[in-house]
Amino acid sequence: MKKLFIEGMHCASCASNIERSLKKIKGVKSVNVSLMTRKAIVDVDSTVKDDDLKKAISRTGYKLIKIEE
Amino acid sequence: MKEEISLEELEIRSWKKRLVWSWSFTIPIVFLMYFSKLTGMMLFEEKTMIILQLILAFPVIFIFGSQTIKAGFRGFYTFYFSMDSLIALGTVIAYLTGILQFVFDIQDYSGISAMIMSIFITGKYIESVARGKAGKEIKKLIELGAKNARVLRSNKEIEIPISEVKIDDVMIIKPGEKIPTDGIVIKGESSVNESMITGESLPVDKKKGSNVIGATINQYGILYVKATKIGQDTFLAHVIDLVEQAQSSKVPIQKLADKITSIFVPVILILSILTFFGWYLFFDELTKGIGAAISVLVIACPCALGLATPIALTVSSGIGAKNGILIRKGEAIQTMKEIKFVVFDKTGTITKGEPEVREIYSLIDEKKLMLITASLENLSEHPIAKSIVKKANLKKYLEVKNFKIVSGKGVGGSISNKKIFIGNEKLMKENEISLKSIQAKIDDFENKGYTTMIVSENKKIIGIIGVADAIKEDSVRAIKILNKKGYKTIMITGDNERTARAIASQVGITMVISNVLPEDKSKKVKELQKKGKVAFVGDGINDAPALKNANVGIAIGTGTDIAIEAGDIILTNGSLMGVVKAVNLSKATFSKIKQNLFWAFAYNVFAIPLAVMGILHPVVAEIAMASSSITVVANANLLRRKKI
Repeated sequence: MKKLFIEGMHCASCASNIERSLKKIKGVKSVNVSLMTRKAIVDVDSTVKDDDLKKAISRTGYKLIKIEE
Repeated sequence: MKEEISLEELEIRSWKKRLVWSWSFTIPIVFLMYFSKLTGMMLFEEKTMIILQLILAFPVIFIFGSQTIKAGFRGFYTFYFSMDSLIALGTVIAYLTGILQFVFDIQDYSGISAMIMSIFITGKYIESVARGKAGKEIKKLIELGAKNARVLRSNKEIEIPISEVKIDDVMIIKPGEKIPTDGIVIKGESSVNESMITGESLPVDKKKGSNVIGATINQYGILYVKATKIGQDTFLAHVIDLVEQAQSSKVPIQKLADKITSIFVPVILILSILTFFGWYLFFDELTKGIGAAISVLVIACPCALGLATPIALTVSSGIGAKNGILIRKGEAIQTMKEIKFVVFDKTGTITKGEPEVREIYSLIDEKKLMLITASLENLSEHPIAKSIVKKANLKKYLEVKNFKIVSGKGVGGSISNKKIFIGNEKLMKENEISLKSIQAKIDDFENKGYTTMIVSENKKIIGIIGVADAIKEDSVRAIKILNKKGYKTIMITGDNERTARAIASQVGITMVISNVLPEDKSKKVKELQKKGKVAFVGDGINDAPALKNANVGIAIGTGTDIAIEAGDIILTNGSLMGVVKAVNLSKATFSKIKQNLFWAFAYNVFAIPLAVMGILHPVVAEIAMASSSITVVANANLLRRKKI
């Protein structure tokens, strides 16, 4: 389980975009993006690198600012 | 230490800055546009007017709105469209009309573009403030933790930051001070105000051996507390975690809204293109086509839909936390509406869970009876056993051989070669011990609601001990309210029928499931579920499976002794009134969610067709859009007015 802190997410479609993008990464088991807390909670296996998560988020136009295990 | 500014605060500040700047350019535009319309006087020539508007609108769109424009257009090559894409496209097209009108015969919307952007920014600003308000209780929780602690290190009192406190450190807490972290009192007596965490307004007495919760406030005595939990393991940290989890958990009813949100923007983009071509090709109305297409772009609002549920959950979980109710799963809010049965575990839920000996009926010398009984029970950890040991109050016990515990029934063993059994009727029957001579007395004890422990020596009854567990102050009231609300309340217990009925009738419960072994509780829940949805209220100590299997599991406990993982809803102060509050809060929240979803759907269903038809002016469309999401957020904040 990883907690991702995301900047710039301000609308419902942002949240669903981020969710879609994170789900595309191989090894991501579940994603829950919360618009209210501006966080994404992802369940990933060990093959997923933090950088992959970062890229997936920046692909949608937002910024990953912190990861908490 | 530098105070960290929250992300949210930064976001609010940045919207505010953009708001001020964008309006300082937009207001002159509005003045220019409407001055001539209202007074009939032309300040400038038309061409100059348009150029002025283009100059003034440029920074609004491309500087103050740059974040939106960038994020929005990014969607067109990554195919991750967001609401920014709609606003970006809408404003840029509107702006371009100002330039294109020099070549084609179309109306100039460049001034309008600045108004749309400014209104959009204003809407986002108001929304972000209101969203912040929605989470204010949670913010308070996060700020609740102590910053410093006074600890004993090599017999000296020193003050250190909370992050440096280690497990087993002895903390000294003076009256009026915050208890730095979870721990156990090793010296001193006081009462502690735990209302910030449990919602319980009365202070709780603490003495040596009591558990205390970090962030609660010591009232009058000095307490010496040994730290048992620190950092992310403390009760407060768990509570914050739970509340955050609740905020981001999903309620089934929002599924459709989420689905719509995820395809909303591309659908609107297509619709807007169709609108333009519809007007242009079928009615030959280029200007109207552009206006209508812009209206469609800016009126469509996925935000109201997407925010409807999470915003209500956020407000609700905050109110809950303040009242000692932690909603772990949003789903419970929806399920609560369909609950038919509320099943209460007896011990520790309806009652205090501190049984005490009420009456002893001895057929031999009472002292001898208690010596034998306490010697065996001293080897058991069961609360009833403990109550007997406490009552006997002995310093020395007899030697017990072959001690065994028969789960749900009692204990056995031998003392100086005599076989002793202590337990319920089942245990006696199993061992072929006749109860005939004493049956009347047993009945009498059970009618009083005592759990009756029968003591036998070499198959002969030597006495019975009546143990009872005091009912919590609020249990009667809470059950009365639940009954009145139309729930079927049920008590489940390992006690026999008669004892169980006696207690049930004291609290106003009519249906009793008695003689249930701890491991069978979840089976009973499943049986009930055939007849309707079940909420199970228990302390999670020996009923965790039942809590898990019930449609809504409500774990109840006091302070740190709560089986947090077991429940969908967790009540942090032991009172059963928490169940009533949880029911009220769930219902109020669910109806708020439904209202919000209704408005969000209705808004889009009505507004979009009007925009397509060209009835709504783009500015009106943008105002409507901004107010729709603000309405949803404000409506959720109204949840606070509800009395729970």
